[in-house]
Amino acid sequence: MKMLEYSRVNETLYHETLPNGLQVFILPKSGFSKTYVSFTTRYGSIDNTFIPLGKDEVVRVPDGIAHFLEHKMFEKEDGDVFQKFGMNGASANAFTSFTRTAYLFSATENLYPNTELLLDFVQAPYFTEETVEKEKGIIGQEITMYDDLPDWRSYFGTIENLYKEHPVKIDIAGTVESISKITADHLYECYHTFYHPSNMLVFAVGAVDPEEMMDFIRDNQAGKTFDKPERIVRQFPQEKMESAVKEGSLEMDVSKPKVHVGIKLPALAEEGLEGLKQELAYQILIDLLYGKTSKFYTEAYEEGLIDESFSTDFTAEEGFAFSVIGSDSAKPEELTKKIEDTLQWASEKFPFGQEDLDRQRRRRIGFFMRALNSVEYIANQFTRYAFNGMNLFDTVTALEALEVKDLQRVLVPLTDEKARTVFTVKPPANGG
Amino acid sequence: MFTETRLTQGVRLYVRRTEQFKTLTFSIRFKQPLTAEGASERAVLANILEDSTETYPSRAALRQALETMYGTLYYTDVGKRGGYHYLSFNAECVDDRLIRDEDIADWTIRLLADAVLRPNLQDGVFKAQVFEREKQTVLERVRSLYDDKTRYAQHRLLTLLRPEGPESIRATGEETLLEALTPEKVMEAYRRMIGEDEIEIYVVGAVDEEAITSSLKEAFHFEGRVPAVLPEKAARGTGKEGRISEKQNMKQGKLHIGFSTPVMFGTEDFPKMQLANGIFGGFPHSKLFMNVREKESMAYYAASSYLSRYGLITVSAGIDADLADKATKLIDEQLEAMRAGEITDTELSQTKAMLANQLREALDSSRGQIEIFDQYKDLPGGFTPEGWIAKWEPVTADDIREMAGKIDRQLVYLLSGKEESADENA
Repeated sequence: MKMLEYSRVNETLYHETLPNGLQVFILPKSGFSKTYVSFTTRYGSIDNTFIPLGKDEVVRVPDGIAHFLEHKMFEKEDGDVFQKFGMNGASANAFTSFTRTAYLFSATENLYPNTELLLDFVQAPYFTEETVEKEKGIIGQEITMYDDLPDWRSYFGTIENLYKEHPVKIDIAGTVESISKITADHLYECYHTFYHPSNMLVFAVGAVDPEEMMDFIRDNQAGKTFDKPERIVRQFPQEKMESAVKEGSLEMDVSKPKVHVGIKLPALAEEGLEGLKQELAYQILIDLLYGKTSKFYTEAYEEGLIDESFSTDFTAEEGFAFSVIGSDSAKPEELTKKIEDTLQWASEKFPFGQEDLDRQRRRRIGFFMRALNSVEYIANQFTRYAFNGMNLFDTVTALEALEVKDLQRVLVPLTDEKARTVFTVKPPANGG
Repeated sequence: MFTETRLTQGVRLYVRRTEQFKTLTFSIRFKQPLTAEGASERAVLANILEDSTETYPSRAALRQALETMYGTLYYTDVGKRGGYHYLSFNAECVDDRLIRDEDIADWTIRLLADAVLRPNLQDGVFKAQVFEREKQTVLERVRSLYDDKTRYAQHRLLTLLRPEGPESIRATGEETLLEALTPEKVMEAYRRMIGEDEIEIYVVGAVDEEAITSSLKEAFHFEGRVPAVLPEKAARGTGKEGRISEKQNMKQGKLHIGFSTPVMFGTEDFPKMQLANGIFGGFPHSKLFMNVREKESMAYYAASSYLSRYGLITVSAGIDADLADKATKLIDEQLEAMRAGEITDTELSQTKAMLANQLREALDSSRGQIEIFDQYKDLPGGFTPEGWIAKWEPVTADDIREMAGKIDRQLVYLLSGKEESADENA
């Protein structure tokens, strides 16, 4: 077991790669009563075209299958896994993103029975045609629930229009139609391909003894047999930098229009510290352009173009990156223009200097320290960075190494007009 | 949990010294009886006081200062609990020891004192421009409830159940009352708040209790005040019963059911009712989740909440509107089963373990510590987490059966999509 000390933030991380390829990380936090343990596979909604383990041909599986599989992992021949976590007083959950599926629990008692339950239920698939059919009703209602959420529709409508081919444009849960095609065989095929321990990571954080926990996980894994790890072959379509659709809209029963400007960005160029620096450069630049102290925000708020719902988002995973900026706005066209004008203004003459960078750097260092109070943040973000070849605990080092020219460099793709799309959710024309 | 110091009459300080976090958390809470007028005034007031101060007289200036101080968080908030309305000033800053060269904690206390005591005024009143803009912002927030169909349906349910009670008053105020506000009115509300409200100050983090007490005393000079007392019996109005359906343009049916119960917060039966609600629909192992979702596949979510200050239990489920009657029947059956004593030892022990876990877990954040303590501290006999967990331990299946008998269905509310025109003409 390796021990990694991060003295700037007073944390010590323990790490081991098990013989079956599983990565295990443990971070003890003193003073905490709970332990949060997540078990994550590098498999998400975008992984829909791949060569199944042990086969030669590429298959394309129905949209929404990673999320469907996540749901079905909780049902076993002898009942529902939530019941068992309940017996141990643990609250369990799971989520599926574009690139990951995570299973997790948090508990203040019975740490090892719960850890065993987590490892075992994720490593023992049980799907039948009957249980697969039954789940379609539940997920159908989940999809319908999201269909009624205007903010979600607006955000996803934006991403959908940014991309022509890349599966990031597909809603994570799929559609009622696409999930209707899912079978137990599909689930087994995806499971065997993507749930191999060598494609997965365990993170335990909070009230935990690292030696004991590592021994426990090592023993648990040693008692199971797995196929030999193989490199997973995933296929992604070529995607041009130009956005697929420039403008889109949707009518929904909302009190006020919602507008989002999406910008398609090149995937991060590098892994490691350089990748982290690039990601932080994007985030800081977006803050300087649109954050609460920006010229844009001050004016747009004064002019009533934005309200408290204004938000900026930057997403970067292996193979894709984008930014979405938007707000509820009574004047969506004016707001769009102002968002675009701000990019134009910044590209004419770079408006930010050392002082701006220093202030944002300090803000981000503080934000990172505060985030380390949260065991959920640590486990989820560490896993995300690890799958992208980066280390969450390099954040302060990366921030301190940033220079103004790093911000200038990422401004170029951000201001590419061809890479933009605008999406509006409008109240019904007849007033509803 | 917290060390309590009475600073003057009606002003209390609660400090929790802990090394658990990398930050110091502050919360200053002003408390007054909840009315729609007061809530409206204070929602705007909270926004104005978050915008700027005398020292940092613009939003950008204040936010820049916060960024420079290692991203110190500062925000105001409004909320309600039972018959009271709260306006809180909240801050969280990095522990000085992690940054070395700065005095962030002292700066944060000064900032809070500025925000509370030295607002950004012109001729003794809030600046008209700031006032107008923040009034608009709060109005937008109030109106946006309409866009969130689940929250909207829950609010409709409460309004129909208790039309004149605090249940139906929103902490952010009401549209017509907000429209009528003026800078002078809100200024007057500010003066009353500073002079008359009961005040609770919370601090969590690696602090020296004596030192922090004296710096807070020095930064804030509050006069003594007599805390307002709520009337014995709050007005509720005549609530609706039976079934009410409403239509909007949407896909899913939002089924919200209101049950009334005489078992209130702080009564002897209160911990028993917390367990009963947990078994009914509080967790993924509960009767509602297992039957409405897992067995019948009718919903993605189906859960109950116990609003103990209001004597209400509400159930919400997102369903296909055509199945509303079937879902309502299924939900009734779960309560019936509880009334008939159909509660397994497993259900009981799972729910006890989950409630205990939920409480202990919540205490792993500084805000959680403040929220939980603030919520429970008025219980007869005081509050410790383990002491409270011990109250759930002896509860039996028979107690749950008895509690289920004290839950009465009052109103079934369904918000759903408009009918297709073909159906209407059929």
